[in-house]
Amino acid sequence: MLIEAQAVAKRYGRDWVLKNLDFCLARGETVALVGPNGVGKTTLLRVLAGLVRPTSGTIKIHGRAGFLANPPAFHRHFSGTENLLFSLRLDGLVPDRTQIHQALDQVGLPHDKPLLSYSSGMRKRLAMARLRLQCPDIWLLDEPEATLDSQGRNLLESLVQEARGIGGVVIATHDQTWLSRMDRVVQLRPV
Amino acid sequence: MQRIFWLAWRDLVLEFRGRTGILSALFFLAVMLFILAMAFGPNPQDLQKAAPGVLWVALAFAGSLLAGRAFGLEVEDGTLDDLLLTPGSREWIYFGKLLFQFSLLVLVGLALLVLTAGLFYLPLQNLGWFMLVLLLGSLGYAAISTFYAGMLARLRGREVLLPLLLFPLVIPVVLAAVRFTQGLAEGIPVGELADWLRLLLVFDILYVTVCALIFPYMLEG
Repeated sequence: MLIEAQAVAKRYGRDWVLKNLDFCLARGETVALVGPNGVGKTTLLRVLAGLVRPTSGTIKIHGRAGFLANPPAFHRHFSGTENLLFSLRLDGLVPDRTQIHQALDQVGLPHDKPLLSYSSGMRKRLAMARLRLQCPDIWLLDEPEATLDSQGRNLLESLVQEARGIGGVVIATHDQTWLSRMDRVVQLRPV
Repeated sequence: MQRIFWLAWRDLVLEFRGRTGILSALFFLAVMLFILAMAFGPNPQDLQKAAPGVLWVALAFAGSLLAGRAFGLEVEDGTLDDLLLTPGSREWIYFGKLLFQFSLLVLVGLALLVLTAGLFYLPLQNLGWFMLVLLLGSLGYAAISTFYAGMLARLRGREVLLPLLLFPLVIPVVLAAVRFTQGLAEGIPVGELADWLRLLLVFDILYVTVCALIFPYMLEG
């Protein structure tokens, strides 16, 4: 198992977002998290990524988690190449520019254009390139299809297939077309 | 160790590309020193007497302007989560941000030293000792300001809260630095001033150690 979460609960102030939730993810498995807005899909992903501490419950993560946020965040004064270069260096990796340029080419992005001039779809593509280079065991994707054009969606689909071969994938989504392609669908209900 | 260096280097590159923090701090310093020089002058003896205090008060205020930059860059671009997602414990984030903040303070401190020497007749014949006290003072200040900047990074009103929390804790550092600088300016032998330097060193070690230990817990959401 890559993720074993038991009785997870999260409260912001007096409002419970998640309550008594069990969740698991096996290697090679793809899981879709679905449910209406505000049901806690993003919170669950952030808890699993280790960005938010749960109010109660236990979570065991076996492997490294990578998170594609919606919208993804990058430094706007850096180019795509610089953003990836520094991200990977801070991860403790030793990237070279050729490898980064290849990753940018794969997602159809320019190398040296500053992020200030990127659209939200381009930022999403850059986040996909970063995840591919980081190559985590657990891929946590928050509404990854949002703001992507049809070509971007094709890239995303190939990325998910690639991720399934490496580890496991959890996608929080409102897009019904994902559901038939996932191994499992987890329906979250309001607390 | 490499990650600490890369984080500090990345932040310095971003800071100099954006230029928001460093330019406002330098402009603030220049105006402040000019006004104080007008107020204390024109007698060179009076100016020289005020120089150590002016130097460190100006650096403390400029430091409070720069303090928010350590995490301000992350908050502006929403990239704090990416730092938290990096594998391993989170002490390195503190040390990377501390190195960035320390470098900014030393750069501003050097500009300040030159301005104070020019406007306030601060004698710089003991330049090596002036540099040492600048480095130690900046380290103590940066240790606390980086810690609080991280603690307040996600809060509204952090620009107001930061100096309020910062100044009470940096008093020992500023006090020791002022007294040592004052002694140097008056030509007192360094041996007689060593206690102030030791005090500065003790607070530097204490602040860096305690802040680095607490910082990872403070960042957890």
